[in-house]
Amino acid sequence: MRLKSFRGWFRNLALARKLILINVVFIVLPLGLMGYFAFARFTETTERKVGDYQLQTLKQLTLNIDTYMNELNRLTVMPYQYPKVTDYLATKRAPGEPLTLDEISGLNSFVTQVFLNGRVDILGVSLYGTGGASYVVMPESQYVTTYKLDENVSWLNKFKGHYGQPVYVATHDLRSSGGNVYQAFSIVRELRSFDDGATLGYIVIDVDPKFIREILSKVTLDPQELLYITDDSGNLVTGKDHGIPQGVADGSSGRTGEGVSHVKSGGEGLLVAHVTSEVTGWTTVGVVPVSGLMKDTEVLRTYLILIGVICVGLALLLYVFIAYRITQPLRKLSRLMRSVERGDLSQAFPVSGTDEVGLLGHSFNGMIAKLSELGYLLYETEIREKDAQIAALQSKINPHFLYNTLGSISMYAELEGSPEIITMSNNLSKLLRYSLSGRKEHVTLQDELDHVGGYMAIQQMRYEERIQFTMNIEPSLLDCEVIPLMIQPLVENAINHALDQGVGRGVITLTAGSSNQVLTITVEDDGIGMNAEALEALRLHLRNTEELGGRSGNGLLNVHRRIVLHYGEEYGLSLESMPYQGFKAVLTLPVIHHQGIAREDDGVA
Amino acid sequence: MRDTSCKTGYRRIKLSALSILLIVLPLLGGCGAEKKETPPAPAVQPVILEYWTPFSGGDNIFMTRLVEQFNKEHQDIRIDQINSRLDDYYSRLRTAILSGNAPDLAVIHATNLPQFVQNGYIESLDGLAADTGLDWGQFSTKIAESTVYGGAHYAVPLDTHTLVLYYNKKYLRAAGLLDAADKPVIGRGEQGFTAFLQKLKQSVPPGVAPLALPSTRIDSVWLWWSLYNQIEGGGVFYNPDGTQAVFNNKASLQALEFVNSLYQRELIPPGINDAFKLFYDGEAAVLITGVWGTGAFEKAEKLELGVVPVPVIYDHPAVWGDSHTLAIPAQSEMSTEKRKAAMAFARWAVEHGVMWAEAGHVPSSRKVVESRAYSALKFRSDYANTANSVVYWPRNMKQWSINEEIIRQFERMIYKEQSPAQALQQAVDSINLQLKK
Repeated sequence: MRLKSFRGWFRNLALARKLILINVVFIVLPLGLMGYFAFARFTETTERKVGDYQLQTLKQLTLNIDTYMNELNRLTVMPYQYPKVTDYLATKRAPGEPLTLDEISGLNSFVTQVFLNGRVDILGVSLYGTGGASYVVMPESQYVTTYKLDENVSWLNKFKGHYGQPVYVATHDLRSSGGNVYQAFSIVRELRSFDDGATLGYIVIDVDPKFIREILSKVTLDPQELLYITDDSGNLVTGKDHGIPQGVADGSSGRTGEGVSHVKSGGEGLLVAHVTSEVTGWTTVGVVPVSGLMKDTEVLRTYLILIGVICVGLALLLYVFIAYRITQPLRKLSRLMRSVERGDLSQAFPVSGTDEVGLLGHSFNGMIAKLSELGYLLYETEIREKDAQIAALQSKINPHFLYNTLGSISMYAELEGSPEIITMSNNLSKLLRYSLSGRKEHVTLQDELDHVGGYMAIQQMRYEERIQFTMNIEPSLLDCEVIPLMIQPLVENAINHALDQGVGRGVITLTAGSSNQVLTITVEDDGIGMNAEALEALRLHLRNTEELGGRSGNGLLNVHRRIVLHYGEEYGLSLESMPYQGFKAVLTLPVIHHQGIAREDDGVA
Repeated sequence: MRDTSCKTGYRRIKLSALSILLIVLPLLGGCGAEKKETPPAPAVQPVILEYWTPFSGGDNIFMTRLVEQFNKEHQDIRIDQINSRLDDYYSRLRTAILSGNAPDLAVIHATNLPQFVQNGYIESLDGLAADTGLDWGQFSTKIAESTVYGGAHYAVPLDTHTLVLYYNKKYLRAAGLLDAADKPVIGRGEQGFTAFLQKLKQSVPPGVAPLALPSTRIDSVWLWWSLYNQIEGGGVFYNPDGTQAVFNNKASLQALEFVNSLYQRELIPPGINDAFKLFYDGEAAVLITGVWGTGAFEKAEKLELGVVPVPVIYDHPAVWGDSHTLAIPAQSEMSTEKRKAAMAFARWAVEHGVMWAEAGHVPSSRKVVESRAYSALKFRSDYANTANSVVYWPRNMKQWSINEEIIRQFERMIYKEQSPAQALQQAVDSINLQLKK
């Protein structure tokens, strides 16, 4: 139902809008979808790549640290090259028992070698014998022989089944007698006798985690990254930042091997990569907030959207312009057609090319030309027909015969002494001569008034005192061009209205005046007038009937049409009337003063 | 009518186009504004100096504090202190200089300067001192001279440190050996000192050492050198042209025999390793060691601390002493900035000598010694004058290893493997062998 209504709506949409709508659907939709899929794919790839990169970085990092650890590990093997040390560790001793000078120098030179062979970051070296012997060098103090190995120390039981591998102990505090507290991680090795395989003791080397921290500090995954190393039970070895998010710390003790995972912590997505070293068993963990990684993608998204909006916007603007540009000639054509429909055949379509629109315009122009040609032909035919009718009329009654007959009547009347007959027959002769005087297009207002005067003289004889006729003419207008036999029908109509249908006297007034180059000739009577409906019907009849020359009762129409044909639509006859208040016919014509001063004499020669 | 509808359509589209522009433009504008936002200028990268120190007494914590304070006050410089055991320090420093890994700044004992001045292993500082406004005149003559070689200054002295006699008032009071001013009552000469210790030994609980001095290492050598110099005409180490050691003489033997007698009579118990810790823990009545212990001892709870200069047992006051000095090891690629930074630290450390004096050392700058802040420190003023009677080791490029030879012979003497006379003879013989090389 809705689809149907949409289809209907679409069908009735203006052509330009149809084009724009289609364009929107076919440009914006694919572009938008393409952009969306491209971005989604890019985001996914970026995230995976970043994860891989992070893991690779951590692997490299762990490898670097392992190399360093192996180097340190070499130091823990040194006691095997110093028989004095292994011998000392094998002895049974009470705590604090003084050493011999030989033992002191032996142990001291061994420890010095460890310190010198190691790096500056070695903080302490401790030797513990299973028989109670010990030699412990802590930072800022002399060697101590009174330390006893703490049986509960966590690394002690890790050597079972370890086959000579060292144990790496996570960072812990090392307190010097001077009061300084050092951070140190330790490498512990079990020392065994080759001969009987028994455990001789342990060597512990305490190392400042500074170097590892330095390696870590050189790695930059992201400004907000978190990089740290923990041992297998989750104790921190060292970290670039010590604030480990809860969510990450929780899972850290279970991590082994290597991998990348997503963790949610405090509402923030974190990308956690970890690599466990095979040398130390320590796990290097790198944590980067996903939002930080995706910063670039967000920039890209912003640009994509921005550029998309701009491009689509420009495309739309351009398309709107083009759509209207293309449909503009069509709209112009339809406008022209409508004015032709109203009868204005003077229109022409400006043809500016030979495309479809140009051809259409061309055909339109041709059609208009044909139409006006046909119209003209019709008009000419009509006029010829009229001429023929008049010629026929004239040939039926020979005017000269009538004139001569009327002249004879007038002569007899003079002999008989009847002046009324003389006047009437003379006037009638004049009327006939004027009416039948051939094919004159224009006459002057004076001629026309003379004619009306003659006509009224006859009529006044007929109606005697019942008619009162007055003329009120502006003298300057007498030489104006008018159409012949234009006023007489109006006067005739006025006599009909004023007298025939009423009893008593009638007053007919003929006025001529001008204003704004418009000549106005008014014929008024004081007869019974017309009601509004009849008047409107008459007006409509005047406006719409184009047929010329009705037989009777169409005198007014005849006059009107002749003026319109001659001078144009703006001129013509208008009627005013009110019941019992007379009837008023107003002719409007342009003021055209007659060029030839000499009045043509209508000789009926 | 249709005509006008078309026109309004046009207008509508123009309007919508305008509104699209209006939406897009601020976005573009926003974009531009974002770019204009310059990232905050990165903080000036500080000049990083690697600074090596050999402190293994109680004084390292004070140096660490000094460095931290300096770093805090100087955002443009960062000193990275690396402390090593004195036992390995010089071996490590020599290796580092020879292998081109030398630190930017190092503490070198005045005794050790000759071996680093040779071959230009450390830089002459006169030019730099002038540039950074370090005034050599602020140091006392004796200490300033200890850094001059061939007319040029090679190091900035931080302090003078000498042997002093620490005592636990608790034990001395119990033995009736304290005077009204809480100073120990020690008789004149060898007998007086021996009697003092004998009396202490009878009074202290068993296990408490009357006098603590390690059986190994240099401490006994320092004591011998101090006493040998107290004797009129003593203190001669080399012959005048420096080719032979000549300290196997009567005065030297007298001093050594007295030192040895303290060990043999067990006034110094045998087998002491860490005398410092012993005294710190309240297990010794008297300790003769360097001034660097003061800062640590005064914080020890089991200790009622008193300090006096090493008593004059023979003819005149004399006591072993040395100086910590700051030197710049020569490096091919050391920048002027680093040099200036190193010098800035040296100057700052000298001027803030009071901080270093808290460890126990006597500051090198006269102004600091005379300052109110320094005299306000307890104990230090008790021995500040010993700086005037200090006897350095003679200047010799091999002095450090020569001392190690003496240590070896003295250790054998203490462990009763040879007599004092034998020890002197053995030392002189083997030193002369070294000097011939």
